[in-house]
Amino acid sequence: MDVFGSFSLLLAFVCAVYAVIGGIFAIRTRHPLLIKSTRQAGIATCVLIFLATISLEYLLFTDNFSLAYVVSHSNRDLSAFYKVAALWAGQEGSLLFWSTLLSVYVLSVLIAYRHKNGELMPYVGVILAGVQLFFLTLNNFVENPFKTLGVMNASGVLEPFTRMDGNGLNPLLQYPEMVIHPPNLYSGYTGFTIPFAFALAALLARYPGEKWIHLTRKWTMVAWCFQSLGILLGAHWAYAVLGWGGYWGWDPVENASLLPWLTGTAFLHSVMMQEKRGMMKVWNVWLVFCTFLLCILGTFLTRSGVVSSVHAFANSHIGPWFVGFMMVILLVCFVAYFKNRDYLKSENMLDSMVSRESSFLFNNLLFLVACIAVLSGTLFPVFSEWFTSNRISVGAPFFNKVMIPIGLAILFLTGVGPLLAWRKTSADSLKRNFGWPLLVGVISAVLAFVMGYRDGAAMLCLFLCGFVTWTIVLEFYRGAKVISARTGMSKMMSAHELAMRNTRRYGGYVVHFGMVLIFIGLAGAAFNTEAQKAMSIGDALKLGPYTLVLQSADTKAEKNYTAQRMIVEVLKGNKQIMMLYPEKRQFQGNEQAAGTMVAIYSTLREDLYVVYAGMDPEANVPVIHAFLNPLVKWIWLGGVWVVMGTLLALMPNRRAGLVLAGAPQPSTVPGEAVLHTQNIALREGHD
Amino acid sequence: MIKAKRMAFLFALVALAAAPLVTAQVGYSQRAKAIGMHLKCMCKGCDMSAGGCAHPGGAFSGPCDTAKAMLKEVDAHLAKGESEQQIIDAFVAEYGTVVYVEPPKKGFGLVAWLMPVFYSVVGFGLVIFVVRKWAIRPHGAGAVAAGSAGHNEAMDRARAQAARETED
Repeated sequence: MDVFGSFSLLLAFVCAVYAVIGGIFAIRTRHPLLIKSTRQAGIATCVLIFLATISLEYLLFTDNFSLAYVVSHSNRDLSAFYKVAALWAGQEGSLLFWSTLLSVYVLSVLIAYRHKNGELMPYVGVILAGVQLFFLTLNNFVENPFKTLGVMNASGVLEPFTRMDGNGLNPLLQYPEMVIHPPNLYSGYTGFTIPFAFALAALLARYPGEKWIHLTRKWTMVAWCFQSLGILLGAHWAYAVLGWGGYWGWDPVENASLLPWLTGTAFLHSVMMQEKRGMMKVWNVWLVFCTFLLCILGTFLTRSGVVSSVHAFANSHIGPWFVGFMMVILLVCFVAYFKNRDYLKSENMLDSMVSRESSFLFNNLLFLVACIAVLSGTLFPVFSEWFTSNRISVGAPFFNKVMIPIGLAILFLTGVGPLLAWRKTSADSLKRNFGWPLLVGVISAVLAFVMGYRDGAAMLCLFLCGFVTWTIVLEFYRGAKVISARTGMSKMMSAHELAMRNTRRYGGYVVHFGMVLIFIGLAGAAFNTEAQKAMSIGDALKLGPYTLVLQSADTKAEKNYTAQRMIVEVLKGNKQIMMLYPEKRQFQGNEQAAGTMVAIYSTLREDLYVVYAGMDPEANVPVIHAFLNPLVKWIWLGGVWVVMGTLLALMPNRRAGLVLAGAPQPSTVPGEAVLHTQNIALREGHD
Repeated sequence: MIKAKRMAFLFALVALAAAPLVTAQVGYSQRAKAIGMHLKCMCKGCDMSAGGCAHPGGAFSGPCDTAKAMLKEVDAHLAKGESEQQIIDAFVAEYGTVVYVEPPKKGFGLVAWLMPVFYSVVGFGLVIFVVRKWAIRPHGAGAVAAGSAGHNEAMDRARAQAARETED
């Protein structure tokens, strides 16, 4: 099976070479048969990559310990669930996994558009095959997952060798979320290849700037949704498994996943400027180019083993390949842009500084500043070593100080932007739209103060959360009121109808609300407290309103690990709340490393987060580390809203006529209904 | 191996039950932990601060031996009556600038702090400039923006071509 996998990869490489070279000839000659054959080569490349992935999974499932990759990342007792995850546990497998997920997108595009966009698709096909070719080169010649073990015999000949068992999967990865987090994040990274390919293709084909936007709108949203979900699942994994009480540590890998998300989010907003007003065409093309480049950079930082030290960049043997690839992409983008930039000219202007257009510009500015700040902070240790020979570390406190003001400014714009009119907003409309939201914001801040959340930045954040929430509520309420007046439906049903009529706009608001919930959760971090104690049986540890009593301890032996478990009773006042079971796991084949299973009592108000840190080496008693983290649950709830909002935005719009037909005319306040109908008609025209 | 560890653990638990009144302390002061939040754990394995070291994946979920030694060293400095800054400076003298958790607001470290301010100011200026430029142009300035009537025709042709060649 390893030969089959290896051969599939090699054949996929050959097909990708043909898809690129043949595709370039097909574009030049426009020969229909050549176009068809290169498209089929593209499809064959994807199928062959799938076959290679299936063979690697087969080898993992059948415990084939003649394969170096299987030995390094699996063992006999590893459950089937985690044998799936072993595919992306190591560098070779994860690069193959990248190719696989990209192939899912490529195959979907090639099949969905096989009879459409005739002249554009050869360009798209060549670009996609080019990206696949790069990863297939790595898969075949640099990091091949199908390498077998060999041992030198007495006469100096290398003979095949099979180990009895493998080293097992990294304990940190043996957690259910690790089976879904990387596929999500990678689907985000790879998904941005599609808008990149269409943007570059449209530029090369000399199409006016708006065409590619129209074609890739939904692909971009899908990629963004996966990226968002991947980041949140990663944060949740870090929270539940690493046992440090936090969910975001600003380490290079986390930052790498955030970078394309920031530019991708900027793009999702500025794209509306282009669709509605024909502006920012150059900007959008470059945002997509940068997002794709940051995806490649992110993949490299994540998978190249340079996690702990960015300086290892130059030492990693796949480093030069990635640097070379990024240079080639940049060069192609520059050449395409300078050759055909005339097709990206803006056409519309605006009338006032206070308008939706300028709010989009500030939105993009803030996302870009956030992106550059994270990137420069991540790479600063390297810069400092270049310029001063002294490496200066940049850790979480730096990023927190820099990113909190930027995040709050973005949150402010989340509330302000959607309420500003296109072209020009009058002072009167500002007063009408912002009065109530400001009041709700103030009430939120006062409530936070009364509840004890007395920190400047956190209170400002909660003020903005109240403000933004109310702007969203008002948007739904006003629209629903008009529909309700016209159809006689209840306000709730009308709000649902409103969302279904303009899914993108109202899905966007749902995403904004999800972000508000996430910001509420982030604000809670200002009030985290913790306590650590070496405890004997019967000892108590007090933290906030809770008292933790170590009742007993036991061990449990599972197939692949042995767990030492603490049984901790949680009291609030004198009342027993629940029992928590934090544990420490020792995995087979990984005696040096251990896994932590954190026990969390989670409420909307706070998380009681309890870690069994291990035995105190001096006193030989268990050490319990407990954290009280307010509002964390809001972050995960926010994530659910973000995904729901994106799914709503991806749905096709329902036509108003279907509902309005035969609807009873309201008998009351007709004037108001007419007035608002005009209003909503005007507003629905742009999102 | 695992069986032996399990036995050792069970033995330790029996010992615990026999001596329920023993309560060990963590071995460093809260003040040392607070100062340790500004010092990077130098174990080169966890990339966390000494005060916040949880050493993920280690047998003991933080602070690891290196971080603990650093925190005890902080306590020793505190016992000598040194200030927080003096202690941080002493660690920088010992380990180099790599021990910082956040760049110092002096020397080259200042560049890290100034960079985001610089991007924000330049970006903000640029946005104001662009918005003003857009705003002062006359209404219906499409022709102006596109350059010339000839260019518009070229764009129309390109648009028609794009429409012909694509369907969605």
